[in-house]
Amino acid sequence: MSGAMDEPLPERGKRPAQGRSKTLRTALGGLFAFRGRSSPTVEVGVSVLAAAIVLGLWEAASRAGWIAPQFLPSPSAVLGALWTMTTEQSLGYHIAVSTGRVWAAFLLAAAMAIPIGILMSSYRIVGAALEPMIDFIRYLPVPALVPLSIIWFGVGETTKIFLLWLGTFFQLVLLVADDMRRVPHEYVEVARTVGANSRQLMWDVALRSMGPTLLDNLRITLGWCWTYLIIAEIVAASSGIGYVIWQARRFVKTPEVMAGVVVIGLIGLVTDQLLRLLHRRFFRYL
Amino acid sequence: MTADYLRFYGVAKTFGTVPVVRRTDLSIARDALVVFLGPSGCGKTTLMRMVGGLDSPTEGWIELDGGRVDRPDRRRGMVFQSYSSFPWLTVAQNIAFGMRYRDDLTAAEKQERVRHYLDLVGLTDFADSYPSRISGGMRQRVAIARTLAAGSEVLLMDEPFGALDALTRERLQVQLRSIQKREAKTVVFVTHDVEEAVFLADRIILFSARPATIVADIDVTAELGAERPLDIRETRPFFDLRNHVLHLIRHETSEAA
Ligand SMILES: Nc1ncnc2c1ncn2[C@@H]1O[C@H](COP(=O)(O)OP(=O)(O)OP(=O)(O)O)[C@@H](O)[C@H]1O
Ligand SMILES: [Mg+2]
Repeated sequence: MSGAMDEPLPERGKRPAQGRSKTLRTALGGLFAFRGRSSPTVEVGVSVLAAAIVLGLWEAASRAGWIAPQFLPSPSAVLGALWTMTTEQSLGYHIAVSTGRVWAAFLLAAAMAIPIGILMSSYRIVGAALEPMIDFIRYLPVPALVPLSIIWFGVGETTKIFLLWLGTFFQLVLLVADDMRRVPHEYVEVARTVGANSRQLMWDVALRSMGPTLLDNLRITLGWCWTYLIIAEIVAASSGIGYVIWQARRFVKTPEVMAGVVVIGLIGLVTDQLLRLLHRRFFRYL
Repeated sequence: MTADYLRFYGVAKTFGTVPVVRRTDLSIARDALVVFLGPSGCGKTTLMRMVGGLDSPTEGWIELDGGRVDRPDRRRGMVFQSYSSFPWLTVAQNIAFGMRYRDDLTAAEKQERVRHYLDLVGLTDFADSYPSRISGGMRQRVAIARTLAAGSEVLLMDEPFGALDALTRERLQVQLRSIQKREAKTVVFVTHDVEEAVFLADRIILFSARPATIVADIDVTAELGAERPLDIRETRPFFDLRNHVLHLIRHETSEAA
């Protein structure tokens, strides 16, 4: 028998060679067709253009005096605030402190959620014992637990990490349990048939099969961590971006407040893109 | 040929209170290609999983070569319809996975076997491709090569060609029969496609609607011979046998409906 019998599928992402102008025209046309396809370069161009238009309108609105600057300062004022905060108010330090808190809490939550989530789906006793409890705690609003956590841990680092952990761990553990449940039983059975023991099933099959969705879920919960960070730092902190924003608010320094928000947004964007890049690197086979 | 290679002794299976397989006795010869044919949902997969040791009978037991089947092992390899190969491993690594937990082979021997089975299923050129980059038919050949590389004596195939287009399916049927004869393997093949059953099988075991029970045992080789060129499908004996089986299975489904 011969390998030429059924044709391999074409490599994804590779398109037949075409003239440059024709490619561009197809890509532009694809932007407007229902479920059309375009090229990555063209799409980045559209994204940048759209952002520039929004910023331009915003700047124009502020300059024309349509909106009072105490409410919505212009992008240039925010940029100016960002500059003075960086040079004079050690914004870099606060960013480092916040990033450290987010990662500490996130890594702690992940280190606990991954094994527990996997066990919940692998052994009915763990699942039956923990699932209702976790499902309940998951719906408790984190802000409502702030007073309790201050009573428990005071106003130090522990409270902040605890609040961030609280916001991510319970969500993540259920996501991991779900990823584990979705490992096709065929994979497990094939591996058992060729002699894999439980440990090998876990490492060589289940974790490999879960890998892509697991990393995706980690990326998403890391994003949530940043939203809880502000709550934690507003309540009890003397450092971090949340603290900076809250201080600026007290003096109605709206550009500084906006600058703080923008910084968080940028960190979120960059982290997200880095993790997506990692995803593509790790899971080339997809 | 050993006539009593794979044997069912009063095998029955009940899920909760639902009987899925009714007490079944069956004996399958070594190196035979046996097709389990039956209407949808009759219990074929359940039977297959019990042979694989992935599920145990509620009553009775199954023996392979005189030894009782009570857990999965590589003597009986499974080929499923979907998720038949690991997407994170290349074609060659998927085939090697069959031997991953064997320490009776050296690395060089394993490599040699991978090469051999890659060639046997015609995938040498795609050794380093990932399953997502090859066709569905090729993926099923990867799974077949993996079970052979694992050293399985019995291939348990549950509608392995069910998701393929008609032409690919036909080619794989021809290839499967030739591999099975060349490598001298026992194959238990599950399908609900009568045409596929008649073309492939040395012997067809026809099951009733749920709970599964044997309603016919057809010696296809006696009717059509062991050689199965593609154009046998256009011959009179094939046509007659197909109609006969179709008639039997129609009778089964109409009773259930
Ligand atoms: N683990 C289980 N628990 C309860 N019922 C089950 C279980 N597995 C199968 N069944 C039931 O047993 C019956 C037979 O299932 P089985 O999958 O063996 O049939 P099948 O002949 O392979 O069907 P198909 O042609 O759809 O593949 C079905 O009605 C199914 O719902
Ligand atoms: Mg089935």
